[in-house]
Amino acid sequence: MDVSAPIEGVAETSSAMMEALVVRARNGDREAFGELVAEQYDFIFRTAFKWCGSREDAEDVAQDVCIKLPRILSGFEGRSAFQSWLYRVVLNAVRDMQRQRGRHNKRNRPMDDETLAVAAPEPENADDEELWIAVRQLPARQCDSVLLVYAEQKSHAEAAAILGCSEGTVSYHLHEARKALRTLLTSETS
Amino acid sequence: MSNDRFDNLKNLRAPEPDAAAKARALEQAMAAFDTEQATKASDTTQGLRDRDRPMGIFNQIQGWFKMDARIPVAATLSALLILPLGVMLMQSSSFTPPRQAVVPLNAPQPVPQTGGRSEVEEADGALAQNEAPMLLADEAESDFNLAPPPGEVVRDQMGQVAASPEVQAMDAPAETRTRETSETLTAAPSPEPMPMVKMEGYSDDQIAMPAEGGGDRFAEFDDAAVKVVADEPVSTFSIDVDTASYTYMRRALSEGRLPDPASIRVEELINYFDYEYAVPNDPNEPFATDIQVMPSPWDEGKQVIRIGLQGYEPAPADREPVNLVFLIDTSGSMDAPDKLPLLKSAFRLLVDQLDADDTISIVTYAGSAGTVLEPTPASERREILGALDRLSAGGSTAGAAGIEAAYQWAEEGEREGVTSRVILATDGDFNVGLSSPDALTELISDKREAGIFLSVLGFGTGNLNDAVMQALAQNGNGTAHYIDNYREAQRVLVDEVGATLMPIASDVKVQVEFNPAEVAEYRLIGYETRALNREDFNNDRVDAGDVGAGLSVTALYEITPVGSDSVLTDPLRYGDAEEQGTVNANEGELGFFKLRYKLPSESDSALYTQAITDDLAVDTISEADIDARFALAVAAFGQKLRHTVSADTVSFAEIRDLALGARGEDPAGYRSEFLSLIDLAESLVGE
Repeated sequence: MDVSAPIEGVAETSSAMMEALVVRARNGDREAFGELVAEQYDFIFRTAFKWCGSREDAEDVAQDVCIKLPRILSGFEGRSAFQSWLYRVVLNAVRDMQRQRGRHNKRNRPMDDETLAVAAPEPENADDEELWIAVRQLPARQCDSVLLVYAEQKSHAEAAAILGCSEGTVSYHLHEARKALRTLLTSETS
Repeated sequence: MSNDRFDNLKNLRAPEPDAAAKARALEQAMAAFDTEQATKASDTTQGLRDRDRPMGIFNQIQGWFKMDARIPVAATLSALLILPLGVMLMQSSSFTPPRQAVVPLNAPQPVPQTGGRSEVEEADGALAQNEAPMLLADEAESDFNLAPPPGEVVRDQMGQVAASPEVQAMDAPAETRTRETSETLTAAPSPEPMPMVKMEGYSDDQIAMPAEGGGDRFAEFDDAAVKVVADEPVSTFSIDVDTASYTYMRRALSEGRLPDPASIRVEELINYFDYEYAVPNDPNEPFATDIQVMPSPWDEGKQVIRIGLQGYEPAPADREPVNLVFLIDTSGSMDAPDKLPLLKSAFRLLVDQLDADDTISIVTYAGSAGTVLEPTPASERREILGALDRLSAGGSTAGAAGIEAAYQWAEEGEREGVTSRVILATDGDFNVGLSSPDALTELISDKREAGIFLSVLGFGTGNLNDAVMQALAQNGNGTAHYIDNYREAQRVLVDEVGATLMPIASDVKVQVEFNPAEVAEYRLIGYETRALNREDFNNDRVDAGDVGAGLSVTALYEITPVGSDSVLTDPLRYGDAEEQGTVNANEGELGFFKLRYKLPSESDSALYTQAITDDLAVDTISEADIDARFALAVAAFGQKLRHTVSADTVSFAEIRDLALGARGEDPAGYRSEFLSLIDLAESLVGE
């Protein structure tokens, strides 16, 4: 249940520079903070988009995260990689946004055409699109696990570190997600 | 759903961010940064620091009633060891009803530990105050004017990532801003036991005419109260795999007596039965969990969470050799057919389960005898059985010497890879070491630290000291079983011998944090005597229950969802309506389950966590698995015998229906036997 494994996926050097920026920003260096946010905005937006499935929502979430960063940055203690910490911040912001809009009970929400239209502006094929939409309807933790492992190509250990749980829990959520998706997808096709 | 299908998810591409939106966000980020810096500069003068917040008096009072498992064990045990003397004097001098001599041993102890506890909880409370993620930073602070120092602000948002999961980071702070006020409500729902009229009649009978078993002594304890999630979102307890309470109840009912309500520990009733939980197959992750949420069959407005834990079961061949010391009570009181003779048969069964690698020694603690059999390989069957046969009851007790001798042999047999265990068999007449009861507890605890376990087998009625059995076994990292007949001996010493001889995990603790957005109130069914403080969960020095090979443990929570008509407490007038929407709780989660355990020979605990998600819920009780339904029936039955108020609304007939529908294949017949116990209890109560 070791979750202290470092998060890969970010080149060594850029990640070291990033950590340096974080430290400076945390110490009140305005310029460093500006650089950090500018650098991370795309990552924040893309992650938010994958979780929300809509440009508008993703922009809202990204903006929210940007505004929150100055306040919460001092809480980043460097015990995990900055990137995985930021993942968590974004994921939390997505949940908060969904909850605020009263959209959280997605599982019972009928699929509307609007969602379909904005969900994947560049659909490779209809099957994938359907799958993404279904995944986003999963309970929060299952959705997070599936997207991190399959869409973001993280290992179970990396996903566990991001989600603050054990690898076993990630596997468990993936397992549950599989079961749930089977139902979701068959009920839609029928 | 195939893996391949999931792999397609990696094709998911997000579009390029919109430049205007990005510029806007960056601009606002800088503004927030400037505000934050300004705030930091003036931080020292702003608002109340959380540790300085005024604390309501109810906080403190409530703290006293928290059970601190570390303290009562020693205190209780010394009381227990003194108590028997008092009881015996009264019994021998008059017909004084034994009930009057029974002192509620677990009476709430004023443990003025509020300092440490409240600090933890206050800190969490402070975190909750900052749960306003959707508010702009400056808004949040000017509104609440309670901004804690920046170092603490952070944890609310991402403590879950920043801190390692070993820390209580997953305890998403779910408390409300008005903790102090709401503390007052917790006292309200605590259910006073309300004996039914007919039950009263039974009690009177018992006092007027002490039936057999009337001299048995049980520590009384209060039923767990309903807890308000907003006040106390976290429930912590040690697991309990003993079954003594069930077999004692079975014996009483079979003999036409209703068991003493104090003898009923509901969790031991539930855990007596085997459940078909998924089996873990890795000794390093020795537990598999099976959590199910179902509507309560007794109250439409409530639900039940069943937490099933299944322990790993190594192949019998993988069992490490054991060095067993039978410490056998041969005092005069053991001279009854259901005591020494049954005990001999039981140990004979156990000897048959052992092989040449195992050693056995026998020590008695009565009469002049001490060591009856020095450590002997279990293959020397004739010698061992001969020594057992020669045991006879009688004489006065030379207890302390017997216990010392037992531990001496246990130590002597210690070798690498060998588990040493003392198995104490007694009818509970524990007037040994009376001169220094604390020394006995200390001895057992010390030996436990040194790796020698102690299990207790109880026999007979009339003299049984259940409370001492419990205390000794718990201090010795062992189990307490009550052997009421040969069949039970077979169950404990043959069928479940692995569980008795092979520990797979020790200090197993469970913590459940409820999500206040989903659950208004909760009640843990049973485990009253195993309650732990919240902070004990992460403290590896706090002792807790041990689990042997292949055992399963089941815990049931009765919960009342938010918005249910069954909520006992009123919402707070000055509550946190606006925070409801922003509580940092994962939606769809009723709570979060955490399990801590130490693998054998390790001193640091491992952590397992799992969200209790709404997808674990079934819509009707009939959809719940049969094990969940059966456990519920047993729980209801136990609570009825305990006169727990919440089960009074349930009739024996309803319990029987539920159990009957959940009997399953029942190859060993235990569930069918339970059905017959329901009938016996019903006829005795005359419902």
